Amino acid sequence: MNGRDATRDVLLGLIPIALLLAIWQGTVSLGLAPPTLLPPPGLVFMRMAQLLATASFNQEILATLFRLFAGFSIAVVLGIAIGLAAAVSPAINAAVRPVVRVLAPLPKVALYPALLLLLGFGHESKITLVAADALFPILLSTYYGASTVEQKLIWSAMAAGTPPREILFKVILPGAAPSILTGCRIGLVISCIVVFLAEMITSTDGLGHVLITAARTFQAVDMFVPLITISLLGLILNGLLQAVRSYLLRGFPEV
Amino acid sequence: MFVSDVEKAASMNLMPSRSDLKAEAAPAAKPTIAMIEIDHVSQVFQTSSRQDHLALSDISLTVDDGAFVSILGPSGCGKSTLLYIVGGFVAPTRGTARMKGNPITGPGPDRGPVFQEFALFPWKSVLGNVMYGPRQQGVKAAEAEAQSRALIEMVGLKGFEHFYPKELSGGMKQRVALARTLAYHPAVLLMDEPFGALDAHTRTRLQNDLLNIWERDRKTVLFVTHSVEEAVFLSDKVVMMSRSPGRIRQIIDIDLPRPRRRTELLLDPRYQKYVVDIERMFDDAGDDELQP
Repeated sequence: MNGRDATRDVLLGLIPIALLLAIWQGTVSLGLAPPTLLPPPGLVFMRMAQLLATASFNQEILATLFRLFAGFSIAVVLGIAIGLAAAVSPAINAAVRPVVRVLAPLPKVALYPALLLLLGFGHESKITLVAADALFPILLSTYYGASTVEQKLIWSAMAAGTPPREILFKVILPGAAPSILTGCRIGLVISCIVVFLAEMITSTDGLGHVLITAARTFQAVDMFVPLITISLLGLILNGLLQAVRSYLLRGFPEV
Repeated sequence: MFVSDVEKAASMNLMPSRSDLKAEAAPAAKPTIAMIEIDHVSQVFQTSSRQDHLALSDISLTVDDGAFVSILGPSGCGKSTLLYIVGGFVAPTRGTARMKGNPITGPGPDRGPVFQEFALFPWKSVLGNVMYGPRQQGVKAAEAEAQSRALIEMVGLKGFEHFYPKELSGGMKQRVALARTLAYHPAVLLMDEPFGALDAHTRTRLQNDLLNIWERDRKTVLFVTHSVEEAVFLSDKVVMMSRSPGRIRQIIDIDLPRPRRRTELLLDPRYQKYVVDIERMFDDAGDDELQP
C-alpha cells in the first residue's frame, strides 16, 4: 500500500466516525433526548479536555492502563508458552486440550466475584480477569500457527545443522509469528473491554469506576468522558501493536 | 551396482578437470566411493481409511561420488519419498539408506535439500537465509557473511542481499534456496523437483545455471523430476521409476559430453534418442503424467 492509498483509507475511515458524531449531535439538537441525560458531543469533548489537565483523572487512566498492560502481558506470555508447548508435544497437547475446551467458552467475568473474594478489590483481581480473558485467543492462535508451520522449513533448518531442541525457537516461533500477533491483537481488544468492565463492577479507581460513579450521580457529561477515553486508548494501543506487528512481520506476505 | 560414470567419463577424457583432481589425490587406481547406498528400502504409508499403501517397494540404488543422478517418474511413484529417506527426514519402513557407509538416522549438513516450494525463511532476508547454515555450523558472523555474499553473487543475485523472499520472483527464490543449501557445503545435494513450480523460460535458465555451478565442484546430486528432458539434460544417470508400488523400472546411463550446452544438445541426435527412448518406455508401461 503506498502513501496515497493509506491517506485515502484514513479519510474513508473517518467518515463513519463523523457520521456517528453527527447522529449524536442531531439527536440532541432535535430534542429527541434531554441534554441533561445525553449531553452534546462538544460539551463532552470540552469536559474531557478539562479533565485531562487534572492529576486525578490522569491517575484513573494510569490505574486502568496498568491493569490492562499487566493482564495483557501475562496473557501473552502464558498464551504463547502454552500454545507452543501444546503444538510441539503431543503429551502436553493431550493434557491442555480438554482444559482449554472447558474454560475457553466460559464467560470469564463470571469468575470475577470469586476473584474479588480471593484477591480483593485492588489490582490483582482485575489483572487476573484481564489475563484470563485475553489468554485464550492468544493461546489458540499460537497453537494453530505453530502447528501449521511448513514442514519443509523445519527440514531445511535441521539439514543446515539445527539441533531438534533449537527448532522451536529458530523456526516454529518465528514461523508462527503472524498467527501469534493476530491473537495478540484480539487479546488486546478484549483486555480493553474487560479491564473497563471489571472496574465498573467493583473498583475504587480507574476509568470504569469514574463512569459508574458519574452514572450513579446523574452526571451525564462525566459519564461519557471515560467512555471516549477508553475508546481512544484502545485506538492508540492497537496502532502501537500494529506498528510492532508490521516491523516483526516485515518479511511475511500480506501484513 | 553399476560402474562409476565419473570414471567412465574420465577415461573418455570428457572431464579433464576431475581426472586431474583424482590424479593428484590418488595416483593409484582409486576404488569408487559409494556416496549413497539405498539398500532394499520399502516405505508403507497408512491412508486415511487406515489401509496400508506401499509407496516404495524394495528399492536398491547406489549413487557414486560426484554423480548427477535423476530420479524420474510419474506423480505418486514415491520419488520424493525416496529423496526424503536419503535426507533423513523420513525413516524407511524396511531397509536402510547409507551415506558414505554410515546408516542415515536423521537430517545432517552433509545432505542439503532444495525443495520445489523453496522453503525459505520468510522472516529472514536473502543474506539472512544464506547465512543461516554457516552460522549453525559455528562459522563466525563476518566470515559467514562474506561467504554468503559470494554465493549470492554466484547464483546471480548480487544487489538483492537485503530483500525478503516475498519480494523475489519464483526463479530468484529458488536461486536463494540453492545458495542457502550450498552455503553449508553438503556433500550431496538433494533436489526435490526444484524447478517444478517455475515457468518454462525460468526453468531453462535455472537448469543451465545449475549445470554451470555443478561443473565447478561436481557435488553428488540426487535430482527428482517428472520431466524427461530435464533428467536427460542434467544427469549422468536416470533412474526410471514406476508407481503403485513405487519401484525402479530401469537405470539408464546418459553418455553425453560435458559441459553440456542446451542449444547444442537439443540438436544432438544422441540426446533426442535418450528422450524418445525413455518416453517410449513410460508409454509402453501406460504411465501418464510425464512431461515431454
